[in-house]
Amino acid sequence: MRLRPKVLAMILAGGRVGELDVLTAYRPKSAVPFGGFARVIDFALSNLMHSGLELVAILSQYRSFSLITHIGVGAAWDMIGRYRGVSILPPSQGSGRSSWYRGSADAIHQNLDFVRYHDPEVILILSGDHVYHMDYREILAYHREKDADLTIACLRVPMSEASRFGVAEIDDEDGETGGRILRYAEKPAEPEFNWASLTVYCFKPSVLYEVLDTNAREDDSFEFGRDVLPRIMAEQRRVYGFKFRGYWGYTRTIAEYWRTSMDLLGLEPKIPLADWGIRTNLEHRAVRDCQPLKVGHGAELKNSLAYNGCVVEGCVENSILFPGVHVKSGATVRNSVLFFDNVVGHDAVLDTVVSDVNVTFGSGVQVGEPGPWPMADKVTVIGWNNHLPDGMVIGSGCTLHPHLRPEDLSMKIGNGEVCR
Amino acid sequence: MIHGDNTLVLLLAGGVGSRLNVLVQSRAKPAVPFAGFYRIIDFSLSNVMNSGLSRVGVLTQYKPLSLMRHLGTGEAWDFTGRTRGVTILPPRTGSKDSDWYKGTADAVRQNIDFIRAHPSKETVILSGDHIYRMDLDEMLRFHRRKEAEVTIAMMVVPLSEIHQFGAGITNGEGRIVEWEEKPAVARTNLASMGIYVFDTEYLLRLLEENREEVDFGMHLIPRAIERDNVFAYPFHGYWRDVGTVQAYWEANMDLLKPEPEISPQVWGIRPNPYADSFQADRCPARFVEGCRVDASMISAGCVIEGTVVNSVLSPGVKVAKNAVVRDAIILHDCKIEEGAVVDLAILDKRVRVGRGALVGQGEDRSTPNRSFPKHLYTGITLIGKEAEVPPQAVIGRNCVVMPGRKAEDYPSMSVSTGESI
Repeated sequence: MRLRPKVLAMILAGGRVGELDVLTAYRPKSAVPFGGFARVIDFALSNLMHSGLELVAILSQYRSFSLITHIGVGAAWDMIGRYRGVSILPPSQGSGRSSWYRGSADAIHQNLDFVRYHDPEVILILSGDHVYHMDYREILAYHREKDADLTIACLRVPMSEASRFGVAEIDDEDGETGGRILRYAEKPAEPEFNWASLTVYCFKPSVLYEVLDTNAREDDSFEFGRDVLPRIMAEQRRVYGFKFRGYWGYTRTIAEYWRTSMDLLGLEPKIPLADWGIRTNLEHRAVRDCQPLKVGHGAELKNSLAYNGCVVEGCVENSILFPGVHVKSGATVRNSVLFFDNVVGHDAVLDTVVSDVNVTFGSGVQVGEPGPWPMADKVTVIGWNNHLPDGMVIGSGCTLHPHLRPEDLSMKIGNGEVCR
Repeated sequence: MIHGDNTLVLLLAGGVGSRLNVLVQSRAKPAVPFAGFYRIIDFSLSNVMNSGLSRVGVLTQYKPLSLMRHLGTGEAWDFTGRTRGVTILPPRTGSKDSDWYKGTADAVRQNIDFIRAHPSKETVILSGDHIYRMDLDEMLRFHRRKEAEVTIAMMVVPLSEIHQFGAGITNGEGRIVEWEEKPAVARTNLASMGIYVFDTEYLLRLLEENREEVDFGMHLIPRAIERDNVFAYPFHGYWRDVGTVQAYWEANMDLLKPEPEISPQVWGIRPNPYADSFQADRCPARFVEGCRVDASMISAGCVIEGTVVNSVLSPGVKVAKNAVVRDAIILHDCKIEEGAVVDLAILDKRVRVGRGALVGQGEDRSTPNRSFPKHLYTGITLIGKEAEVPPQAVIGRNCVVMPGRKAEDYPSMSVSTGESI
């Protein structure tokens, strides 16, 4: 028996996305709250834990404070021990050339000394930005079986959406399990094939070292999808596609974030958090100090999730409440996601809102448009630490940036307006 | 905060609490779950933590396993570090003294070596049995200000209840001049809460004077009052001994009031979220379309499809469609199946109530339980850990189903009020 882990997992968690703007003003996308108590990166971390992969590195660059606090010592995912651990790898200065991470591939390239030190048999590179449940042991087994240089997990998407992803053409070498990747195209304008890459890569280390070195030397862009995968394909390496068939949620825009969140609800949620065994760090934001949810007299909860520390005295429908949310009597929250410690005042009405931490809605505040099941592009997003005065009216599809001063707020904000 | 004196805390957690019936069949009273995912002892431990005290011995005797698991390293209450620590002190054999703890004072006496090993100016002795919030640091200051040898936390209780307590009569400056342990005739309404601050040297002398004396309230305190400065530290606020089924149920119901006198989160009470992995693996509570929840406390990991009214649910409870839970305390991972009704009952962990079963049926709440008339007489029905209530079974009021009972253990599908399985 060999105790030292054979697999090193590296999570790309550095990015922010323009479209998620307000929610990533102070945190990387991977640290965005999701699922009523967790963060997006918890899905990758919990998957790793359940796959028995507990040697993990996290590459982070953009406003990583929240992420670093969240990861803590890694104990929440059982990642502390003799051969278990989480290392956070921020950009660092060295004796030679040093720079910010210029892309996902560059982030790994700059940390090859760390990778070589651990001397893994396989390097598993993941994105910290996706909502899914996967047992990585299956793709690792397939990768070994095929003696591949690179194995990529792929999901078949409708051809009409394929242009938004890196897509592969996979042959039928192993039928339902996977096959050789014949062609790969990053966000093709006119896609010819539709197996979308999930950003789950199993690399043979020597191949990764080589291709990253070449990429750093010869290219002027340093992304896995855009640069490294096409290069590997061009070099005629053994690249395999592992066919994944489960749920895959992404959160690149507010509309996608909202839609993916709604997949947590329903009689048979597409994202069954408990079955997936999603764990989060209860130390972060002192979630462990919360008491159970309190439901007041006359309150209503319908098709919703609510975590410890919430107080619900009003009506909550098709919504997700993170710890510390207080919905006061007479208030209605519909089709919304309220992050930690939001307070919804008496008789306020929220419809299709995503609200970041510490937002206070005064009495009688109205946000969004009531109506039947709403459209994702009507989501109003509110940045953190905003206090919306009593009686304020905000339309649908609005954007309120974080921490607005009272003088920046008018009492009425029309549909689709942006407040900075 | 008084720093640098390393005040020692001894927490008496050996109590059987037998009046809690099946709830203490496999655990000590301090380890009984309360308010969803706390245990009773969390209140004492958190009071100690929030008072800035961090050197703790926990004296255990009765069924200590779940208590020990719960305490762990003490990390949950910030008791780990260079000068901090929590030590479990079970009875042990030694070269001369080797015996079970015969009483509160005897338990402390058997741990004199522990007290000496952690030199302190004062020793705080308290029990792990009560639901309250108290600043022990303030009590320590009071103790010093009064230059007392012993200070006892005391509160005013109804005269009719004084017979359950140590009762003290104080003079104008708060010194206790007379003491009666559990008096038959009430002469005062000032009751001891079983929380003592001792000058450590004085405590050691008192314990060694007469080794036959085994109880603080009965023996040591009266003697100290006769000779020395014993002061009453007045306490005002919520304090409950949840040592009976009725008191346990009422204190849980107190959590549900619109302006509750008791709020674990506001009080800074901490559970241990890592023991039994009960919290790390719990996802947000899920409220399915068609459910109804009113005036209740619901822990993470619950799935509610039916109706929950005026109840406290621990993590992982599932209430299926058309099931009703009313005026009940449901501990971890119970399953209330479709169409079942639970009314005025306490369900220990992992109980399964089968489809269409009725727990707590009938108008007669006053016929007490035949086997435990002193435990169950107000209508509350108790279902023990991991027991099963078969589908369509009907269970009356004041009933007890012992832990682990399965369908085949039921002589009939109807258990009348006051009966036990």
